[in-house]
Amino acid sequence: MTTYHLRVNGREHAVDSDPDTPLLYVLRNDLHLNGAKFGCGLGQCGACTVTLDGESVMSCLVPVSVVGSRPVGTVEGLGTAQAPGVLQQAFIAEQAAQCGYCIAGMMMRAQALLAKNPSPTDAEIRKHMMPNLCRCGTHMRILRAVRRAAGALGKQGAQA
Amino acid sequence: MDRSRRPRQSRRRTRRILLALAVLLALAAWAIMWRPALDPQAAAPRFDQALVERGQRVAAVGTCAACHTVDPGRPYAGGRALATPFGTVYSTNITPDARTGIGQWSEAAFTRALREGVSRDGHLLYPAFPYDHYTRLAQDDIRAMYAWFMTRPALDAPAHDNDMRFPFGFRPLVAFWNILYLKREPWRPDPAQGAEWNRGYYLSVAVAHCTACHTPRTKLGGTDFSRHLDGGEAEGWYVPALNAKSPSPLPWTRDHLAEYLRTGIAPGHAAAGGPMQASVENLRLADPRDVDAIATYIHSYLARAPARQAPAGRPGPMPAPAAGDPDLARMQAGYAVYANSCARCHDLGRAETSGAALQLQKAVALYDPDPRSLIRIVRQGIAPPDGEPARWMPAFGAILSDEQTAALAAYLRRYGAGQPQWEHIEDEVKKAKQP
Repeated sequence: MTTYHLRVNGREHAVDSDPDTPLLYVLRNDLHLNGAKFGCGLGQCGACTVTLDGESVMSCLVPVSVVGSRPVGTVEGLGTAQAPGVLQQAFIAEQAAQCGYCIAGMMMRAQALLAKNPSPTDAEIRKHMMPNLCRCGTHMRILRAVRRAAGALGKQGAQA
Repeated sequence: MDRSRRPRQSRRRTRRILLALAVLLALAAWAIMWRPALDPQAAAPRFDQALVERGQRVAAVGTCAACHTVDPGRPYAGGRALATPFGTVYSTNITPDARTGIGQWSEAAFTRALREGVSRDGHLLYPAFPYDHYTRLAQDDIRAMYAWFMTRPALDAPAHDNDMRFPFGFRPLVAFWNILYLKREPWRPDPAQGAEWNRGYYLSVAVAHCTACHTPRTKLGGTDFSRHLDGGEAEGWYVPALNAKSPSPLPWTRDHLAEYLRTGIAPGHAAAGGPMQASVENLRLADPRDVDAIATYIHSYLARAPARQAPAGRPGPMPAPAAGDPDLARMQAGYAVYANSCARCHDLGRAETSGAALQLQKAVALYDPDPRSLIRIVRQGIAPPDGEPARWMPAFGAILSDEQTAALAAYLRRYGAGQPQWEHIEDEVKKAKQP
């Protein structure tokens, strides 16, 4: 057991963990941030996607020992049920969730894209979102939601 | 003799001769560099459907889409950046759009571009476009490809400006490269070989231009045909040798190779990564008999590779570093990364599942002469083409630090391949991060 100091959604947390524990387990079991989901555990589905230093990563593949001081972002950092963030609002508006299991991962992957490229083309969105799977088949709505969020962010930028 | 005492007349004559020489040189250079524009055509001729379909198959073997298609929804519209040692070249629009594509190109203009690397308007194309290979194409195949491209949807996509290093932005210089490296000889079959082999020879060299990457290039970027299939590089990746110098730890069979070329996967043997992914993405649309012929030809060289002694106890789970390892700290760091991030898929092999992972003792990247391809696969993963089922390996570039990536490469080299350690692993990790 080693003590790790993780910065998650802007807050510092100290957790005792084995070095090889996946970040996903630490987020869910130690920090009770249950947004990121366990899907396959093999980096094949994307349900566990979070951001690490702004890049989308599958947290089931990230041993807690490699995180270091890099900031971690989870869906809980995007907004709350009372005050959903731009991406969350867009996913609600497009009714992009069927069972919802993949959606936190989808939003975090999209978040990494929009933070770097606020007005992506459709091809860029498709390419970026490609690793994340939805077994219900709401991909078209998910793509629309990402587009909608990009549009909303563009408007915010124009007003600022 | 004192120069100042030379008669004025003699000095004037020398000057005149020098001036004449300079004019002659300029004229000669101009004659070498200048190519006429060919007349635009008002409308494309009509094409026989069978010819169009044949052109589709030739274009698939030629892997034209690998460079000329960026967005699958806009085929052949160009715009892909290709990094070369001389700068970044962007592929152009080869749809029949009259303004931004090849809509005004006659078959003669299209042929000249493929055989000589000259655009319709007379400007010289950069040899990132492999006309030094296409120059050997049969005219029938050129005609068929022309029919295929001229019947594609016309897309408006102006060429992206290239970003060349000085002085390569001056295109006429390519004329001198052409003197050195453009051998305008028709393709000739090897009479000592059979029809299938010769078909594969033609397809591999003139059409699929395998040698553009699998054969090394000279300092000036010319394909060094004297070192046929000795291994080269593409976009920062090491491209394996396909002859006696093949680094593959497992011997290839011709059928295994054909399957790999058609699907990107030879089960239990290899998965296409990096620039080769775009090649197999094209080849799967080709006539399977053509792919078989390529496999026959390439395998005739691969079969010359010496049989390797399979490392003891392999394949199987990768071992922990030995206690007496002289580089123990780095090996342990690499093993920790392997065990925590890689082993769940790669130790098992998982050969029968959709996410099959290769046991790494069999992975050719560990046996390459340098770590470039391994580092890039780790950082970028392997992604299927848009909308297609294929192997998927997640990218670890955003997960692992430089030190962890380098330690992993060093560990895999020693304990996976059992080969002498690579040099400059850390430098290669840094280079791989540059966009």
